[in-house]
Amino acid sequence: MGYKIGLDLGSTAIKAVLVNGNDMAWRRKVATAPGQDHLAMGLVKDALEQLGLAEGDIEKVSATGYGKKLLSSVGHTVDEISANAQGMFILSGGKCRTIINIGGQDLKVINLSDNGKIYDFRMNDKCAAGTGRFFEQVARILDTPLELFGELSLKADEALELNSTCVVFAESEIVSLLAKGARKENIIKGLHYSIARRITHLLGRQQTGGDIYLDGGPSQNPGLLDALEDELLMEVKVLPQPQFTVAFGAAIS
Amino acid sequence: MTVTDRENRIREKIRSRCDEEVELEISLLRQRKDYFPELDYFLDLLSAGQSSSVIAGRVGRPVAALLCLQAPLELFQAYGLHPFKVFGGSQAASRLSSPSLPAVMCPMLRSALGLLQLDSASAGDSGGFAAWVLPTTCDWAVKFMEMMANCGQENRRPVHRLELPHLKDRDESQGRWLEEIYGLRNFLGELTGRKKPDRGALARSMAVYQKAWQVFTELTMLKRAGRLSGPWSVVISNSFFFDDVQKWMAAVEATLPKFRERPAAAGPEVYLAGSPVFFPNLKIMHLLEDAGLKVVMDDLCSSERLFPGAVFFDDPSEHGLLKALAQRYHQGCLCPSFADNDRRINNIISPSHKALYRGVVFQVLKGCHPFDLESMTLERRLKDEGLKFIKVETDYTSEDSQNLLTRLEAYRRTLDS
Repeated sequence: MGYKIGLDLGSTAIKAVLVNGNDMAWRRKVATAPGQDHLAMGLVKDALEQLGLAEGDIEKVSATGYGKKLLSSVGHTVDEISANAQGMFILSGGKCRTIINIGGQDLKVINLSDNGKIYDFRMNDKCAAGTGRFFEQVARILDTPLELFGELSLKADEALELNSTCVVFAESEIVSLLAKGARKENIIKGLHYSIARRITHLLGRQQTGGDIYLDGGPSQNPGLLDALEDELLMEVKVLPQPQFTVAFGAAIS
Repeated sequence: MTVTDRENRIREKIRSRCDEEVELEISLLRQRKDYFPELDYFLDLLSAGQSSSVIAGRVGRPVAALLCLQAPLELFQAYGLHPFKVFGGSQAASRLSSPSLPAVMCPMLRSALGLLQLDSASAGDSGGFAAWVLPTTCDWAVKFMEMMANCGQENRRPVHRLELPHLKDRDESQGRWLEEIYGLRNFLGELTGRKKPDRGALARSMAVYQKAWQVFTELTMLKRAGRLSGPWSVVISNSFFFDDVQKWMAAVEATLPKFRERPAAAGPEVYLAGSPVFFPNLKIMHLLEDAGLKVVMDDLCSSERLFPGAVFFDDPSEHGLLKALAQRYHQGCLCPSFADNDRRINNIISPSHKALYRGVVFQVLKGCHPFDLESMTLERRLKDEGLKFIKVETDYTSEDSQNLLTRLEAYRRTLDS
């Protein structure tokens, strides 16, 4: 049986996976930059070299994400909502019924039926509030690496109220809090809660029961996960490689 | 009001951008595989723009401006006037009106106000509409003249408001609406100097519009069959008010054989509901096609709700005709500004309609609150019926196109599954 490659060309990162059957045999990501076609094909080349495979061993290369149409040499594309649904359903062993995906510039809630098909979905509009881009902006304002957000928020003694998840308004709110001497840890915890509330709002009445999974880059942040579980009053699961579920779904679609 | 040189230059710059928008959309439409030369009539009408003096010159009689579709068009024709429904689909024109308007408001009226400013600048005192007829539908329509004044546009033309009863299914409402229609008749009579048209003029006008509705229905059936695409459907219906109804009808009839020859488009059939779509902003129509979705039905006031449907009357007296028109234009209207609008939802989920589509796409233009509110009810009712539903909230900018396309592509997959 041939290998399949899935490419997820997101707004902040390009993710690539090589799939053998339903196993993710290889994965890698690079930051999105001009020349996405070249970057993505570079990842494909890396996969082949590292696994000692030839182009002829690859049955299919599929692309998803905002940049999927930019790939001149990839014939098969799939929308990222469908790719996310397929990838998560398989990787969760068929347990997932609701996906919360935080992408670089969008936020999605996808409900799955028992056979893994999309039952319903919601997505933010063009506003980047609560998305990966928002996290990046806040990291810049706080002059703190994004990777430390989870650890820092777990050291907070309170979650400061942030009224806005709008990138522009949040900046002035955070600057004001810093000027008043607020601890970064408490601001970050407050940020996690404000995003969790936004996700809860997006989720609305959509929950269909079953397991809820969080994926996308920010899902690796334990502080956000805590806030989300607290707001939803439900357990939210995260797979070991949450940034690659969409690329995996593209590969197997 | 004095206009500075800088304001004039801004206006001309925006006018030039409006022209570019129109040229771009027309170029896209002409490049389509389903374009044929008979469609140029409609493109030419739309590309000439909403200039009141141009329209008046084309139809050869004074033009009365309308905002919504509840005022019987037949009455205007009977009084020798041409009804023109003011609209706006230009993002560029919005830039002219925006500084004087709320930040969040109906994009269609924001654009329309910008286009009116451009029109008044070029038409001057010799141009402009003969009168304004405004049914009190949504809040934006109610406040339209106030917004126009805030945009610095002095209206010297007569204005007549029709107080629309927002409860349709009550006898009292019907009675009140009939009085409003009589009021409109009197207004048009004073405006034109005719105390009242002879009954024959009204009956003839009604016959013309009934014929136009029948021709439009034939066109609609071609859309049901997938032979008339969404973008052309919008172009043809949007151009309705730009010419004499008989000429428009003849042009539509000329397209029918061409559309009949076309093979049916592929893709899941969808019902498009919600906020109207106006040229040159055909963004949603193009995105639906890009996602592989085929619009076969809609209930947009810019498209299939253009005509209220068949007007029945037993009594051929003037009162009988006015009563029939009043009833049809009120009870047959599915505008979300009505409080009792179950008919709209029942229309979508009726078994005969449900059989024709696989899902509903509901477009809400940001700031169009009545449709936004109604979308919640519709979503619940449709899901109760086991029907697929997607709401897309957008405006006239293009920056959300990729986001919308992603959603529509995924929605298509849910229809396939």
